[in-house]
Order: sequence, then structure tokens, then C-alpha cells
Amino acid sequence: MNLSQAFKIAAKSIAAKKGRSALTMLGVIIGLAAVIILVSYAQGQNEQMRAYYESLGTNVINIEASGPNSKSISDALYDYCLELDDLVLGVTPQIQMYNQTVVKYGAKTLDSYQSNWEESPQVVMGNQQYSLCNNYTIAKGRDLAYLDVENYSQVCVLGHKMAEMLFNYADPIGKTITINGYPFEVVGVFAQQDPQNMTGKDRNILVPYTMTRVLNSSNSWSAFVAKAKDGPSTNRAITLLDGFLKGLVGESGYYYVQTPNQWQEQGDEQIKMQQRFLGGIAAISLAVGGIGIMNIMLVTVTERTREIGIRKAIGAERRSIIAQFLIEACMICGIGGLFGIAVGYIGTLIVGKASFNLILFPSPGITAGAFLISVALGIGFGLYPAIKASGLQPVVALRAE
Amino acid sequence: MLIDVKNLYKIYNEGQESEVRALDGVSLEIDYGEFVAIIGASGSGKSTLMNILGCLDIPTYGDYHLDGVDVTALSDRQLAHIRNKKIGFIFQGFNLIPALNAWENVELPLIYQGVSMFRRAERVEEALERVNLADRARHKPTEMSGGQQQRVAIARAIATHPPIIMADEPTGALDSRTGKHVLEILHGLHDEGSTIILITHDNSIAATAQRVVRISDGRIVYDGDREGAGL
Repeated sequence: MNLSQAFKIAAKSIAAKKGRSALTMLGVIIGLAAVIILVSYAQGQNEQMRAYYESLGTNVINIEASGPNSKSISDALYDYCLELDDLVLGVTPQIQMYNQTVVKYGAKTLDSYQSNWEESPQVVMGNQQYSLCNNYTIAKGRDLAYLDVENYSQVCVLGHKMAEMLFNYADPIGKTITINGYPFEVVGVFAQQDPQNMTGKDRNILVPYTMTRVLNSSNSWSAFVAKAKDGPSTNRAITLLDGFLKGLVGESGYYYVQTPNQWQEQGDEQIKMQQRFLGGIAAISLAVGGIGIMNIMLVTVTERTREIGIRKAIGAERRSIIAQFLIEACMICGIGGLFGIAVGYIGTLIVGKASFNLILFPSPGITAGAFLISVALGIGFGLYPAIKASGLQPVVALRAE
Repeated sequence: MLIDVKNLYKIYNEGQESEVRALDGVSLEIDYGEFVAIIGASGSGKSTLMNILGCLDIPTYGDYHLDGVDVTALSDRQLAHIRNKKIGFIFQGFNLIPALNAWENVELPLIYQGVSMFRRAERVEEALERVNLADRARHKPTEMSGGQQQRVAIARAIATHPPIIMADEPTGALDSRTGKHVLEILHGLHDEGSTIILITHDNSIAATAQRVVRISDGRIVYDGDREGAGL
């Protein structure tokens, strides 16, 4: 018997047993699609975390300190950072406004207590180095300047999304908005940082930190961000700052010096754990799919055994019977596998859009691996009864009821 | 001699309390062109004998030469070739593959034999015409009556032109009129030169054979012409 005949016999057999073939395919489809979607989801999350850490910038040092006399601590710390100019490129106070923020331009009002998190305005206060330390670049207009800070100028630089929400594509430069009733002139707009609106960086409104007296109920500021020259400088600056702050805040005080690189390491660890977890779920779904395939295949052993008996009685060799069932299992699992990949890709696109607002694609390696495993399962379980029954005496196989 | 069997035993659970001797020392010779009916009560061992003669089963002990070849020494693969080329089977339960239509069922042994597609079409057509079923070629077994199914099975058995046709209760599942028709076909094949071995418990069918072999408790108790068997 040649190969094309074996294919013909197998195709006829599949067509004649549509229900069973469809169920077997379904097992492969579900198993495969589940694995692809789950693993892609984990990868999407991974990607998102990485993007988040990258947006925080590298060689950035976050510093916070508080003690009995916050004002003097802040002044001393700021001055100390400025002294470290051989290690540090820039330093800025970083103050967020935590009380209610109402931003108005014309008829447009954004209220931090009224709107969703995704549309909530956030006022941050810093100096002319704020954009350098926080990885911002200017898209339009100008950045804060030294004199803005010195002169208590009521100017602001808008984040990309903030500009879009307030001005709706009109040019914001030179316009005046109000923040909690105080007028501020827009001098610049930052370039987009965070297309997925994950960190809120594009919803920031930067004003000179000296304006904290006007906008914040308390006028103390104690958080800074410094940008170091490179990795080794970052570590050295952290060590120096640590020693300085220990002496500064005293026993009862609190301080904090950290670089997001350290978070990133923790985050990577978390991602790894999550991936192991999702890998486990994927393995389980593949196993469940495999058991489904196995069940359907084994249920038909009797039916197949009789058919094999007939084929043997009319002169089929063992190897042509095995070839037929092998091709049959390959065709069912192959077609099921292709459908499974299609469902997996569509599912991944939907999940990626819904969860991350990303165009997510499963990795080819995972797809190929899951395909091979589920097809191997199907073929293994499809072939098992054929191998068993084709070794029987024809009369025994024919007697199967 | 076409079939030459000496001291054939088929013993199940040998040496145990539940030992069953389905064949208990059978010796039998069948020549080319004979029409032999093997008769006996159910459980007498006649089906076991036919299964071994048809290479569907192997004996526990004994010699079996088919057309001069020692069958007991053959491999699984060589036995498959013998079943394919030398023997055509007709079963009581038809044993057609339900997923395939009449044409495809008849075609199957020719595929396993490696006959080319063109020659296959010729042979299938010829075999179906021989049993008067050319018009039902595209029907599945489930769409046919018992008599028609058995005729498909006969067509499948004769499609490869085997020298021996073995029929195990071929009329057992049919009413007497269709049974008679099936028997007529078998006699026609015999007239054309085939050797027919027919297993039956129905004396009126056995009475149409030249030679009758009666089996009881795994032993041959009579072997001769039908008059001597009292039929």
C-alpha cells in the first residue's frame, strides 16, 4: 500500500466519523489556545513592567527625608545634592499635590476628586531640572527655567495627555489655565511618555516648586529626584546620601534613598514568579486538553479494534494499519492544532487589547512548542489502540464487541 | 493438495482446570475445486477450524500446509499476504466497514494488494456485477438489506480472485429466500473453479455440498459424500 492510498483511507475514515473527529479536534484546539493565550498574557505583562521601569529612567535616585524640622532638612539635603555635582547631573525637588486639584481652561474643568484615575490631573512641583531627572523631553514651547523658580513665576509645563484633554489639539502655549483658582501660563508641553496611560506621567502639570507655598496647604518639601551620571555614580551617590541623611534626620527622623533599578530587580523577580505560575496553568490546560484527546481516542478502541480485525482479515499488513491510524491522528491533530493556533492568536489579540491596550502576538517558539506537544499527545493516544489491536490475531480483533 | 492439515489442536487455558480443547486432533485434506461443507452443533469447533484454515487464528499444535506452504512457520506479515491473495472470507455478520460504501469496501483488499487504481476499478465493477449489485455501489452498508450486505461481502471476497472462498454461516443472518440466493452465488463460483469451504449448522444447506465434514467436540466424526452423512 502506498502513501497516497493510506492518506485516502485515513481521510475517508475521518469524514465517516465526523462527530468523534470534531471532538478530538476540539480537545486539541482548547488545549493549544489556552496555552498560547496564557503564555502571551504573561509576556504582555512582562513587557508592560519593563516599559514601566524604562520610563522611570535609569540612574535615577529617589530621596525622601523627614524629621523634627522638615524645612531645614530639605534645605540641607538640597544643598548637599548640589554639592555632589561630580556624580549627579541634576537634582530637583519632587513634590506632588495630594489635596484636591481643580484645573480649568475656558469651559473645560478637570477635578481630581471627580474624574476617573485615567483622567485625573496631577500637579507636580520641581525646578528647571525636573524634566532631566524624570526623563521628560519638551515637545512644544520651553521647559521651566531657573528664573521661573527664583521669581515664583506662575507658569506651568503640561504633560502630553493633559494638554490634549484641556486644549483638544489647539496650541496651548501662551494660554492661561487655573489651578485651584490660581492662574498659570502654559509655557511648554512635554513629549508623550506613557502611551498606555499606566504611570500617569502624561497627566502631570509641572509648576515651579516655589509655588508649593501657594498651592499646598503645607509648604514643606522633602522629596527629591536626582539623576546620576552613570551606574557607578548612582551607587556612590546613594552611599554618600545615605550617610549624610543618617546624620541629618537623627534618631527620630525618617529617610529613604533608592533607585528604581532596585525596584526593577524586585519587579523582575515578581515577573519570574508570575511566569512560573502562568507556565504551571498552561501546563495544566495542556494536560487537560491531552486527557480530553486521550478519552475520545480510548473510547473508540472497541470500534477501532473491530475495524482493524476486518482489515486484517482481508489482508492488511500490520504496518499499513498503523500507517492509516497514524495519518488519521496526524490529520485530526494537525487540523485541530492549526485551528487552535488561530483561536490562540485571536484570543491573544483580544486579551492584549483589553488588558494592556497593546497589539500582543504570541511568540513563535511557544506556539510551535505547544503545537508539537498537543499534536504528539493526539497522535500518541490515537495510535495506541491501533498498535495494540493490530498485533492481535484477526479472529480476536473481530470478536471485539 | 490445497489444504493439508495434520493433528491440529487448539487448546485454550492449557493445563488449567478450565482447559478447553476447541480442536482435538483434526486431520483433513481438501483438494482444488472441492465444495466442502463443515457441519456441527454450535461449540463443536467448526468455526475454530475455519479460522485456523483461513489464517485468522493460529493452532496450538499441528501442521497446516496451504498450497504446499507450511503456514505455521509464517510471519504475521506473510499470513496477511496469504489472507489477501489466497482466501476470500464471507462472515455471518458480513463484517463490512460501516464508514465505507459498497464500492470502497470491495476495493479495500485490492488496495492492500497494491493493485493500480485503473485495475481496481475494473475488478470492483466486475465483482459487484457478479453479485448483481452494480447499481448499489455508492450505498453504505447501513442503507442496504442484509442480503445486499452479504452480497457486498461476497464481492469483496471474490474481488482478488482467491483460489479459496471460506464462508462461515453465510446465510445465518438472512431469511431463507435471500439465503438461497447467496448459496446460488457460491455454487456459481464453485462452477467457475473456486474451492469453497462452507461452515453451517443448517443441514439443508450442507446438503448442497459434494463433501460433508461433521465435527463434534473438536474431532472429525464423519468425512465423506452427502449421502453417507444422511443428508
